[in-house]
Amino acid sequence: VSIEAGCNGVEATIVLLAAVLAFPAPWKNKLIGLAAGVVAVQGLNVVRVISLFYLGQWNYKVFEWAHLYVWQALIMLDVLIVWLLWLRWLPAPEAPAPVAAAAT
Amino acid sequence: LKLPTPVNPVWAFALRVFAWMVPAFAAWYYVAPWHSRLAGTIARPMIDFYAPGLVTAVEYSERAIVFVTSVKVHAGGGNLALLLPEVNPLIYTYGLALVLALLLASHARWWKLIVGALVLLPFQAWGITFDLVSQIGIRMTGDVAVQAGIVGWRREFAALGFQLGSLIFPVLAPVIAWAALERARISALAGGAFRKRAESSEGSTP
Repeated sequence: VSIEAGCNGVEATIVLLAAVLAFPAPWKNKLIGLAAGVVAVQGLNVVRVISLFYLGQWNYKVFEWAHLYVWQALIMLDVLIVWLLWLRWLPAPEAPAPVAAAAT
Repeated sequence: LKLPTPVNPVWAFALRVFAWMVPAFAAWYYVAPWHSRLAGTIARPMIDFYAPGLVTAVEYSERAIVFVTSVKVHAGGGNLALLLPEVNPLIYTYGLALVLALLLASHARWWKLIVGALVLLPFQAWGITFDLVSQIGIRMTGDVAVQAGIVGWRREFAALGFQLGSLIFPVLAPVIAWAALERARISALAGGAFRKRAESSEGSTP
């Protein structure tokens, strides 16, 4: 089995990394999101590789469909879901100190 | 009395997208011959701009685009033939199914489906363009790249363009298009903390 660029989940991981880093959140939360996200993306990518291996043995046309189109979309959907779950998990920002109190 | 915890709306959304992907992929594959022609038509001026005079005609089969080029190659027996590279446009257009599934799962208005499909076309044309350019400029041996004028920075950029067009744009463009069209949905899915952080970030921008 040869896992080429585009099937190793690296691009999806980079997109998730960019999305997490770009959003204003504490670094601790970003690092937790990145760690969980990399595990989620690469974990699903292993499922992709295993499923493609068996699909390839069963039916080449189905393998081509899953390989070129369906799994690509599913991996990016995984990135989107992980990002949304991370956003939902983020704590609300602390309220800024009142202006009057800060002036005194 | 402890009430059951409501389903996380993100998971519910994911299930709806998953369910919509089946008819969306079927619809995309059904319209692929026409949709690919549209993407190929937009790709033609891009190719002409990048490598002027390279393509002299474009032929469309059911789910493939064949480019008639001005590049001559040895065809055996001392004969020369025109190079006719073929591109599978479906590799670059399946994002249509993804954007439709995302929008339908968000209960988006019908006009957003059309806008979402149209917004993706330039990115799909980009993929088709750089598939052809990288085939001729990078993957083929001999003097093919020199004949086509894909040398120097054009050859280097062809590699970058192909990476973007094949690995990034097909999956990222549909998600960005959905996010731009359904900002309120993202806000609802991500929750109150997201809204506060986004607002405080916008407020702190100079």
